[in-house]
Amino acid sequence: MNICVRAKALFRRKQLEKDLDEELAFHLAMREAKKRAAGIAAEEAKYAARRQFGNATRVKESCREMWSFASLETFWRDLRYGARALAKNPGFTVVAVVAIALGIGVNTGIFSVLNGVALRLLPIPRAEQIVSVDQIFHGKLSRNVHGEPGLFSYSEYKNYRDHNHVFTGLLAYEPFLEATLAGESPKQLMGTAASCNYFDVLGERPGLGRVFVDADCSAPGASAVVVLSDGLWRSRFGADPLIVGTRVSLNRAKFTVIGVAAPGFGGLDPWPSEFWAPLTMQKALEPDRDFFHEDNTGWLAMLGRIQGGVSIEEVRSGLRVIAGQIDQQYPGRTTTLVIHRATFLGRPEERTVVFRIGAVVLAAVGLVLLIACANVANLLLARAAARQKEIVIRLSIGGSRWQIVRQLLTESLLISFLGGTLGSLVTFWSIEGITRVVLAHLPHGAPRLVWNVNPDLRVWGYSLVLTALTGIVFGLAPALHATRQDLSTSIKGDGGGLIGKAAVGGMLRSALVGVQVAVCMVLLVAAGLLMRGLYVAQTINPGFEMKGITQAIFDLPSQGYNEERARVFQRELMARVAALPGVDAVEQARVTPLSHQFEGTGMTVAGETQEQMFEFNVVSPGFFAMLGMPIVRGRAFTEADIQSDANVLVVTESTAGRVWPEQDAIGKLLREGKKEYQVVGVVKDSQVSHLGQPGGMFFYMPAGPKEQARLQLLVHGQSGDTATANGIRESARALDPDLIVDVTRLEDNLELWRTPSRIAATLSGVLGALALLLASVGVHGVVSYGVSQRIREIGIRMTLGADGKDVMRLLLRQAMRPVLIGAAVGVAGCAAVSQILSKVLYGIGSHDPTAFIGVPAFLLGIAFLASYIPARRATRVDPVVALRYE
Amino acid sequence: MGARIERQGDLVQGTLDMLVLKALARGAKHGYAVAEWIHESSNDVLYVEEGALYPALHRLELRGLLSAEWGSSENNRRAKFYSLTAAGRKKLTEEAEYWRRMSGAIARVMQTA
Repeated sequence: MNICVRAKALFRRKQLEKDLDEELAFHLAMREAKKRAAGIAAEEAKYAARRQFGNATRVKESCREMWSFASLETFWRDLRYGARALAKNPGFTVVAVVAIALGIGVNTGIFSVLNGVALRLLPIPRAEQIVSVDQIFHGKLSRNVHGEPGLFSYSEYKNYRDHNHVFTGLLAYEPFLEATLAGESPKQLMGTAASCNYFDVLGERPGLGRVFVDADCSAPGASAVVVLSDGLWRSRFGADPLIVGTRVSLNRAKFTVIGVAAPGFGGLDPWPSEFWAPLTMQKALEPDRDFFHEDNTGWLAMLGRIQGGVSIEEVRSGLRVIAGQIDQQYPGRTTTLVIHRATFLGRPEERTVVFRIGAVVLAAVGLVLLIACANVANLLLARAAARQKEIVIRLSIGGSRWQIVRQLLTESLLISFLGGTLGSLVTFWSIEGITRVVLAHLPHGAPRLVWNVNPDLRVWGYSLVLTALTGIVFGLAPALHATRQDLSTSIKGDGGGLIGKAAVGGMLRSALVGVQVAVCMVLLVAAGLLMRGLYVAQTINPGFEMKGITQAIFDLPSQGYNEERARVFQRELMARVAALPGVDAVEQARVTPLSHQFEGTGMTVAGETQEQMFEFNVVSPGFFAMLGMPIVRGRAFTEADIQSDANVLVVTESTAGRVWPEQDAIGKLLREGKKEYQVVGVVKDSQVSHLGQPGGMFFYMPAGPKEQARLQLLVHGQSGDTATANGIRESARALDPDLIVDVTRLEDNLELWRTPSRIAATLSGVLGALALLLASVGVHGVVSYGVSQRIREIGIRMTLGADGKDVMRLLLRQAMRPVLIGAAVGVAGCAAVSQILSKVLYGIGSHDPTAFIGVPAFLLGIAFLASYIPARRATRVDPVVALRYE
Repeated sequence: MGARIERQGDLVQGTLDMLVLKALARGAKHGYAVAEWIHESSNDVLYVEEGALYPALHRLELRGLLSAEWGSSENNRRAKFYSLTAAGRKKLTEEAEYWRRMSGAIARVMQTA
């Protein structure tokens, strides 16, 4: 069989037709020439040549048929035959198809989520031309970062925009911008400060009004205009058709609405943007920062649309030159650019995380599919043994081995495609709903995400390839095995051949069971570890008190508060809250514990030159007492520290131990730039910043007058949380009705920390259960088959005096051997897996005994049960019946 | 059906394939040349039925025993040249051996008085 020729035939029918005509015409011409050379007249020669050739149309017809239908016809024959074989054995077919459907369905589902999260191109016109540009710095570096480290400063953006020759346009935007929309009930919005070519580069047209023009970005603060998202326009402004020209207040600055974006457009991140303002309005939206004039602050993400005919390689080399020029201003620093087709979560840091998690999850669902494959392969092996006669006959009447393997593979592919289609369709139908439910149940504080997980061509392709691969993986070994016999020995009825083969088949079957058990073990232990992790996360003691504490979070600088006004506001608010019934303590902190806000700075220990990174918090004097964090040496902050804005610090116990080992930390100095701070106290370690990780380098500073604008409130109350929360909201509203104050229980901060382990535990639990189900069906099937094959032998044994117990022992011993071997291999594999998992789990050892003893015991129990049931059937066999069997 | 011996009915079935393979053993030929070669080397005894030749050539090509290439003929016309593949050469050896045994056996049978 010549695959190339056939493939050519399939795709180039016209050409073949022409070739055939030409070939026959050539023959006739040659014949005619010969006849004429022999002296026959021209007209007569032509006629004679045709006559000698016979019916040319029929010749062509038969050639044509050979080319076009040869492959298709055998395929159809194989397919029909396979379908008949499957229909004859519906029990087998249903089990196999369902197993494959489960495996493929789970894989397709996970892949379509991954696709929606990080592979799908942006939902904009001609998205394949859009690339994202990020940078990674090497060498000596001092840089301010707002958002993520790979972002660009405005002057860098201008450089790339004005000096590149590869883009039709390069846009920049600030990705993490929040603003309060004033109104009856103020609303916190996610928004975007964008360069004025933003919509043009993306090719996005407004649904209403206009988008930005260059004049909107002429100078900082010049043009207070805003484009609203379609969603915001509908939910907040009742889809007012006259919205254009009206004024809205964002972070207390007035903006004129110039347009509404097209429906469905939510910007370039998975958290949808609800408004767009020109980049030049950054300071109006964030009054405490003026990024425009900070050349060394990264705050802008860049995306460009590639000119026609320019390759992504040319983009890379073109921009590399510009990066090199910028580096010259910063001696010792080199910049690498990361440029690829723009997707959601495309920044390097995000990609690393997404792909790492994606790889682990895909590996896990891949294992489930592997178990399903082993299962079906086992069923096929058993069936091939039953069809032995048919196969031998076909081989002996001249069927080639390839033909029979092809036939058997067609059957496997039929199963895999039935299963794959079923699984994929169920997945495609349900995945969007599942994702929506999961995203809707993320805890307070998690970003509101919108992901399009609907299957696109890539997902279809993935599931198609996976399905075909699956069919070959589970079908090939049984098919090769079934046809591997020595023809003559089988036909001569030489029993040796068949028995030898049965032994080999038995080994293959046992190996498959072993693989299933091993893989299942890995998944189950991983699931066990993750569930233990969840349990630990749910019950973890962070080392400080959370009960009865309410947090009030608000952002004064963005609302235009200066230091003076902030001081007044904080004083008034604290006084009002302290007067609320049941409230017995009100404290301030820049960051409330476990709120996923992290403050860090570099400090130099006196007497050293190397800077060290510390996390820190700024707190009021009663903070430690309220959270029950004991001061182990020295003192906490005092009112006097606050009043005098003293340069004093409290460090944690482990920080003191690391920085000044075997010395008294009290009185020691830390330097930040020219400022010196003295350590006055040491506080016990607790997990205030990262749950599950005590012991980072951490210090506290007093909440002096200069800090007031950035502080949050912590309130301890005796009366119920709800009453206290309402009281705080009322107090804040009385002082500033437009300020959004987010009041929650401090304990709620734990939820966001627990969410990853909850999602992981749920997913792994489901996968583990699926794996267990498939593996136990597999073990059960193999033992049942073994019993049915050996029913004669069992009959003989029992006639010769063996009792049920002996038979049971024999069968169980044989069934459990591959299970035990598989289990041992699985446990060893788990040790490796748990090394990885222990890094993401809170307070759980990688050799957690509960998971490592409990899970194998459980799995072995299930496997035992799966073998026991068919084995018991064997012991109840009536010897007479057994001997007559077959 | 296959080649026909002049005025004497059909050749043994399957023989045409062997003759075609043999015709190509010394190098590439186009269809017309194959027919002529068989005719001439059989001292004008065998006539290849031309209507059967081309389906046979195509069948052998599909089975991978022949490969085909377009080239120009001795009178400078475009023609499709067939040549043996490795598999075709092997097949020819097998067929020739089989034919030798068969024809020898038939001859012996016919010689017994």
